[in-house]
Amino acid sequence: MLRYVLKRLVSLVISLAVASLVIFLAIEVVPGDPAAYMLGLNAQPDTLAALRDQLGLNGTIPARYLSWIGGMLTGDFGTSYTYRTPVADMIGERMWISLPLALYALSLSTLIAFPAGVWAASRRGSAVDMGVMGVTQLGVAIPNFWFAMLMVLVFAINLRWFSAGGFAGWEQGFLAGMKSLTLPAIALALPQASILTRVMRSSLLDTLSEDFIRTARAKGLTRRQVLWRHALRNAMIPVLTIIGMQFSFLLAGAIIIENVFFLPGLGRLVFQAISARDLIVVESVLMLLVFAVIVVNFAVDVAYAAVDPRLRGRR
Amino acid sequence: MSLLRIEGLSLAIHDFAILHDVSLTVEPGQIVGVIGESGSGKSMTSLAVMQLLPDGAQATGRILLEGQDVLSLSEAELCRLRGRAMGMVFQEPMTALNPIQTIGDQVAETIRIHEKVSKSVARARARAALARVEMPEDRFPLSRYPHELSGGQRQRVVIAMAIALRPRLLIADEPTTALDVTTQAQILKLLKRLVQEDGMGLLMISHDLAVVADMADHLVIMRHGKVVEAGPSPALFHRLQHPYSKALLAASTHQPERAAQPQEIPLLEVRGVVRDYATAREGLWGKPGTFRAVDDVSFQIRRGESLGLVGESGCGKSTLTRAILGLEEVQAGEILLDGQPVFTGHKPNRAVRRRMQVVFQDPYGSFNPRHRVDRLVTEPFHLLDDPPRGAAREDAIAEALESVGLTPEDRYKYIHEFSGGQRQRIAIARALIIKPDLIILDEAVSALDVSIRAQILDLLADLGDRLGLTYLFISHDLSVVQQVTDRVLVMQSGKIVEQGETAAIFDAPRHAYTKQLLSATPRLPDMTAA
Repeated sequence: MLRYVLKRLVSLVISLAVASLVIFLAIEVVPGDPAAYMLGLNAQPDTLAALRDQLGLNGTIPARYLSWIGGMLTGDFGTSYTYRTPVADMIGERMWISLPLALYALSLSTLIAFPAGVWAASRRGSAVDMGVMGVTQLGVAIPNFWFAMLMVLVFAINLRWFSAGGFAGWEQGFLAGMKSLTLPAIALALPQASILTRVMRSSLLDTLSEDFIRTARAKGLTRRQVLWRHALRNAMIPVLTIIGMQFSFLLAGAIIIENVFFLPGLGRLVFQAISARDLIVVESVLMLLVFAVIVVNFAVDVAYAAVDPRLRGRR
Repeated sequence: MSLLRIEGLSLAIHDFAILHDVSLTVEPGQIVGVIGESGSGKSMTSLAVMQLLPDGAQATGRILLEGQDVLSLSEAELCRLRGRAMGMVFQEPMTALNPIQTIGDQVAETIRIHEKVSKSVARARARAALARVEMPEDRFPLSRYPHELSGGQRQRVVIAMAIALRPRLLIADEPTTALDVTTQAQILKLLKRLVQEDGMGLLMISHDLAVVADMADHLVIMRHGKVVEAGPSPALFHRLQHPYSKALLAASTHQPERAAQPQEIPLLEVRGVVRDYATAREGLWGKPGTFRAVDDVSFQIRRGESLGLVGESGCGKSTLTRAILGLEEVQAGEILLDGQPVFTGHKPNRAVRRRMQVVFQDPYGSFNPRHRVDRLVTEPFHLLDDPPRGAAREDAIAEALESVGLTPEDRYKYIHEFSGGQRQRIAIARALIIKPDLIILDEAVSALDVSIRAQILDLLADLGDRLGLTYLFISHDLSVVQQVTDRVLVMQSGKIVEQGETAAIFDAPRHAYTKQLLSATPRLPDMTAA
């Protein structure tokens, strides 16, 4: 097991190195002069020179790469050109919204998908199964921003249970913070829960048709016992894969929902930074998101091994 | 009172009739063998006793287990019977165990769901059950996972689960079909011993007459969901009445007639071939090791000869096949067809490659289901520099299909429209279409029912005579190899340990491994003695 984890760690470090190189090349090297790009067509030569100097564009490419990486490792992400504040602070602030929102949405979708998937699979072909399949079909099909606006209309404008947007701030208390994240989390969780339910159901049905399920039944286990003791854990591998992918998506892909609810999250930060041609912010946030995705994948790999003994022994 | 009495059992799945009026009995301590080809209903009969039938199954008649009709029991009552009063062993040991639970937990589970005992007591009894199936503690601790065991060992674990509570009835559905002959012999011996020790009744399902003839006290022969003949073994073999039973026995020992004599010129020469595979690295930056799958193998096949290659799974048969076909490069030695090397430099030699073809075991997996037969059988044309087009191509397809007993019109069909035996004919047509000299038959008849197998063997013998073909016949089934080959090679752990005339080797094996293989092979009772 330790060997497996170490091996995954090595591949994690390699992936990060490769990803950072790709991001660096794509943003700082390939487009030509980033300073000229950021300032636009009518830039004055002296402003351009000053920005070049500030961005450290005068060094060689390898030296610039190393100083960028070195800075990030010590928590220095550079200074935003448009906001004139350290990028690390901006990311830190946004992170406190995006991360809880992603975790909230993921918990919701998992809490819905597990029981619904198991329920549908255990009653294959029944009205329950067809109902779950129908609802999840709808959940996959409905655009989540439209669903979000519908919820704002119903719960914020008509019923006045929630505010229509914005973030209360964690200093108002945990519950107040969670309350302002509730509608966005539901909007994000709806398609995710639908997909996860369907994956859970089909994976469980596949497992239930395996030979070892028949062997377990021949031992005298009831259908229920077989499902809980033998099928569920075996069905987890594809489900874990989807959960990992969904978490990565939720962290970065919430741009539209963040816009609908006026949440100052990471997605909006990237969006604004791209519009403002603030390459320093774009570069840092991208790297951070890649880091998150790779770490989540590592966690999923470790979870695989926890579920499946066949992976633990593998070199 | 009989232990198990099946009376007039009929079964339909979604109104499709599977079994018609099946009756049989099993007494305590008795082994009853049920024989039949695929579709005979033998497995459904055993699943009906366990009441583990697929959804939509409707059974009528009576299945009395110690006087109690299992068809009248509720699901809860059946769960109490399964595993305690009757146990079952299945065909596929590789997939019959939960891959993520230890063998100890899986055997102990049988005990814990039926008896209120503590975890430690259940584990101690699981330990004892595994010891009974010859899986001793010191070599197979309870903490082992299924993937750490071989097929034979996994089958022992499944048997331990089935007998942990000493049920009165054990059902074994093709328990050794997926295993090598020596492992098969050990598992059969184990089952026999358990029956004697516990006085349990054993209902054993098999397609293999010889396996059942060796084991059973009583035989039941099934066809199309009906019992055609039943009686005590081995006496039944000598007074078979029903034409189907007779045909089945004849097909099992069928010897195709071959007229052509091999010439003295070698067609294929294999000289000192070595094939190494890289194994996993030792540590992250360690050197990869090597595994020698084929170790210094040399032999010849004469033109027109049929050469057998036998050995257990993992002995290197398939690796050797791939090397001969030029699919993989060898690390040492050379392979020549008519004096021409199969590999030139690092590339397969197309001029040689087009002169040999292969037929694989699985008639279901070796065709692309989305292509029509005409496209499937012309696949080898890519080996030709100038493949026939237009009318010539149509003629070639028709000729190949006709030579294997199909009609030219079959070219417009898809592969799912054919039975297993017909598919194997198409596989042979595909091999024949570029008129090769050598055909490698890699377990080509192993997945077929005996009557179909006999037809395919006849076809191969006939084609061999007419077209002057040379065969390399690879099989784990020694009785088939004995029937159709002139000479035989015995392979063990990558080496040829014995080779010679087939008759001589089967009469007087010299190498210890050959003797072991032959003694493990189940045989039909000697018909001439009666």
